[in-house]
Amino acid sequence: MAFTIKVKVNGEWKTADVEPEMTLLELLREQWGLTGTKLGCDEGDCGACTVLFDGKPVNSCLVLAVRADGHEVVTVEGLGTAERPHPLQSAFEQHGAVQCGFCAPGMLISAKALLDANPEPTEQEIREALAGNLCRCTGYTKIVEAVKSAGRAMKSSVK
Amino acid sequence: MKHFEYFSAHSAEEAVALLQKYSPDALPIAGGTELLVRMKQNLIHPKVLVDITHVPEFQGIALTEEGLRIGSLVTHAEVAASPLVRQFAPAVAAASGSVGAVQTRNLGTLGGNLVSCVPSIDSAPALLVLEAQAVVFGVNGRRQFPLTELFVGPRCSSLTPAELLEAVIIPRHNLGKPTCFSKFGRRKALTIALVNAAACVETNPERTHFSQVRLALGAVAPTPIRAYTAEAYLAGRPIAQEVLLEAGRLAAEDAKPIDDFRASAEYRRHLIGVLTRRVIEGALAGMPKV
Repeated sequence: MAFTIKVKVNGEWKTADVEPEMTLLELLREQWGLTGTKLGCDEGDCGACTVLFDGKPVNSCLVLAVRADGHEVVTVEGLGTAERPHPLQSAFEQHGAVQCGFCAPGMLISAKALLDANPEPTEQEIREALAGNLCRCTGYTKIVEAVKSAGRAMKSSVK
Repeated sequence: MKHFEYFSAHSAEEAVALLQKYSPDALPIAGGTELLVRMKQNLIHPKVLVDITHVPEFQGIALTEEGLRIGSLVTHAEVAASPLVRQFAPAVAAASGSVGAVQTRNLGTLGGNLVSCVPSIDSAPALLVLEAQAVVFGVNGRRQFPLTELFVGPRCSSLTPAELLEAVIIPRHNLGKPTCFSKFGRRKALTIALVNAAACVETNPERTHFSQVRLALGAVAPTPIRAYTAEAYLAGRPIAQEVLLEAGRLAAEDAKPIDDFRASAEYRRHLIGVLTRRVIEGALAGMPKV
């Protein structure tokens, strides 16, 4: 039996009919075309599918779509656009933190959750916040630098 | 994933009634970080999932007359960040904070970790040294027993198919006692412990001798265990390096580590000695100065 669910995605309420075995990741990518969120390991190890679920980063491959009913989800498409990038997206570009790009959406979402809660994280806090996101180009150093720099940029723009 | 029927329960009674109605084809789902992975890997094929995440009785962290009650649906992230847990059972907060990574800690629950009965679960040792009780809800009501009795074997709990873990309770007399948790794995995040350990340490007022030590280990036996021989040895002994070394050696004898693809039994026995010293020294270091 399919379930009709309502999810607030990137600020806009959407409805969908989903089978119980559909994951939130499949719903986002295949029904709603939000392909910024990536399917990597499909078992919660790689973090490529990270989205914000009620403001907290989760692996969308491990969330049943039915469980998103009534909840708020933010994907990388909700961060910014090419014309108006989020400070994190600008920092990733400036610091060369994107190589093949496959991990970048998940990295950006995990970093956004960190900076929302802690605008001035230490390097250790950044590394812990990104520990669930694997980059197989191993470009971690530049990613950590980009997050640090975005935190500073976001703080100075608030002043 | 193969198709299944999905029900969302809104009370403990409704949840166990659904599980009983569809037994043996039904399983409860909470965080899903373990269950969905096993379903995707075709290891299990439940025909019915009963979502228990909206069951109010299984939520929340509270100080009660009995002690510190942590609902089974509390996530690892919530346990790790809870001011009550950090104050009264710091090793429990540290253990939950070491599970998986941020994303899995935001989904995975304390109860789900415990009932999985995987020998390496990180939440068990700290709760065992604090003599936690398990509160279980079933069709015939509640029962409560020492958490040790939940663990029967690898992936085997003492719960019947229509029973659910409702909460764990850390008894009042153990709240705030000096504890420490430590884990050794191949990396700090997203790792399955090769060995994990926790200690609860009490000393004489002069802080020269141990009065009582409880020590628990994971990933070194079919279930998480208490190291009773090492505990008995430590009682009344002086706080000294050679005593800690001997306690570590005895703890390794209390365990039954196996060779597997993660580590050899011999390496695990070595790690038991190292972690035994670390958790006892960690608990001592957390005590207020004499």
